[in-house]
Amino acid sequence: MADITIHPASFKDPSGFVFHSGEKLYRQVNLSYAKEYDLLMNSGLYTELVRKEYLVTHKEVTGITALEENWYKTIEPENIPFISYPYEWCFLQMRDAALLTLSILKIALSFGMIIKDATPYNIQFLKGKPVFIDTLSFDIYDPSRPWVAYRQFCNMFLFPLYLEFYLKSDIQKIMSAYLDGIPVDITSRMLPLKSGLNLGVWLHVYLQNKVMQTAKGKNERDEFSTKKLLNLVHHLETIIISFSGREPKSEWSRYYQETILGKDYLNEKEKIFTWLLDKVQANAALDLGANDGFFPKIAAARKMQVIAVDYDSRSVNNLYKEVKRSGIENILPLVIDISNPSPAIGFNNRERASFHDRIRAELVIALALIHHLVIGKNISLPVIAHYFAGIAPQLMIEWVPREDEKVQQMLASRKDVFQDYTEAHFELAFKKYFTIQEKIKVTGTHRLMYLMNSIKKAL
Amino acid sequence: MILSSIFLYVDPGSGSYLVQMIIAAILGALFYFKTLWWRIKSFFTRKKKDEHPGDDQLNG
Repeated sequence: MADITIHPASFKDPSGFVFHSGEKLYRQVNLSYAKEYDLLMNSGLYTELVRKEYLVTHKEVTGITALEENWYKTIEPENIPFISYPYEWCFLQMRDAALLTLSILKIALSFGMIIKDATPYNIQFLKGKPVFIDTLSFDIYDPSRPWVAYRQFCNMFLFPLYLEFYLKSDIQKIMSAYLDGIPVDITSRMLPLKSGLNLGVWLHVYLQNKVMQTAKGKNERDEFSTKKLLNLVHHLETIIISFSGREPKSEWSRYYQETILGKDYLNEKEKIFTWLLDKVQANAALDLGANDGFFPKIAAARKMQVIAVDYDSRSVNNLYKEVKRSGIENILPLVIDISNPSPAIGFNNRERASFHDRIRAELVIALALIHHLVIGKNISLPVIAHYFAGIAPQLMIEWVPREDEKVQQMLASRKDVFQDYTEAHFELAFKKYFTIQEKIKVTGTHRLMYLMNSIKKAL
Repeated sequence: MILSSIFLYVDPGSGSYLVQMIIAAILGALFYFKTLWWRIKSFFTRKKKDEHPGDDQLNG
């Protein structure tokens, strides 16, 4: 077939690979993986994992083959609307992905199988919940061998969680630097000394680090057992469940509750937002600076698929919790810094696509954001207009003028070099790419809400 | 750092297997003592039989 392209991230696994044909995504199962694939499908494991909504569903298709040699089957997995990466997840998303991996491992063991890798890249968020997407990760279980992916699980899940838990700091940037996970020696040096008093840290970090350094090339062939493995998995699970309590307040996490602009402002803005939303034609929206998700929730209630991003990981954490608690299926909260979104990384810079390469939105929502970009990040209005026009054809944006208290606060601590930060310049910059469909004043403030339609997509 | 990168390349199993052996042994021993302690305690306090030591107590 002429239109087949193998996915650039799918080159590591000899069991098969992912490819695109036309608009659709398929996975080839290689002949070398036939036995394992058949066991997955026939043992009842697949049915059980799908019943629990732990594993993405797929159907076997005929007539579509990417590589004839070594071909066994082609499967078409359920569509995942948006692919996100662990360095865009908040703490709780990471924690849930880790727990899902361990749950799947335990279920697999009871069906005579095991997962041969443990990476968050095998997990995506679908309908508000994490789901395992790598159908070819299952291997036949040999009870005499330990878990081949234990170290990977530590590097990819446990260590990032430990670091965020103990350092009380976001580690998304560190994770994007270590695509294969954070090595144990780095983790052991970064964790505070007191963490060594914790049994889990002592065993999985310090002891592991020590053993790794002394075990150079040694290959232990002592017998392992299912009981030992289950003890280990249970221990990992208990550690990760115990992480639930990390929720310090951030400067943003109560932005809307405690804002000096108050409840009237919020009510008024909600009214305008809803009114403007009625005029929008969109199934997919991207909310930039979503905070605790007050506005994304309104959009989601109207059946829109919303990707709600914020650079403050605590706000994203709160929104994710809310999405989970209320069972909201169409909001995906992610930690993204708009002034520095996820780049294209990995092998050949194509393994993990950049954030904007993955986004397919019809509406961009940018409320109470523009002053942060212009005054906080020195990004000029024409550059911002060009940026928004490159994302989606419709834009709902709030203009926060110079007289606004928030802007005044920001200007108080720095030299005012923003003479162009005026309503006139704002409109001029945006009119290059958009037509203004609606413009409404938020009563009681100097702020304005705009609905704009793009004239041309920015290059 | 360099050492650990070489490990990743040479043999994903070695070292990691040894760690799991040791950790499993320690966890096994801890579990054994927890169970023992629970039995001694229940002998003296005459607790009901259906109370089992929670696995979550293993987490330090």
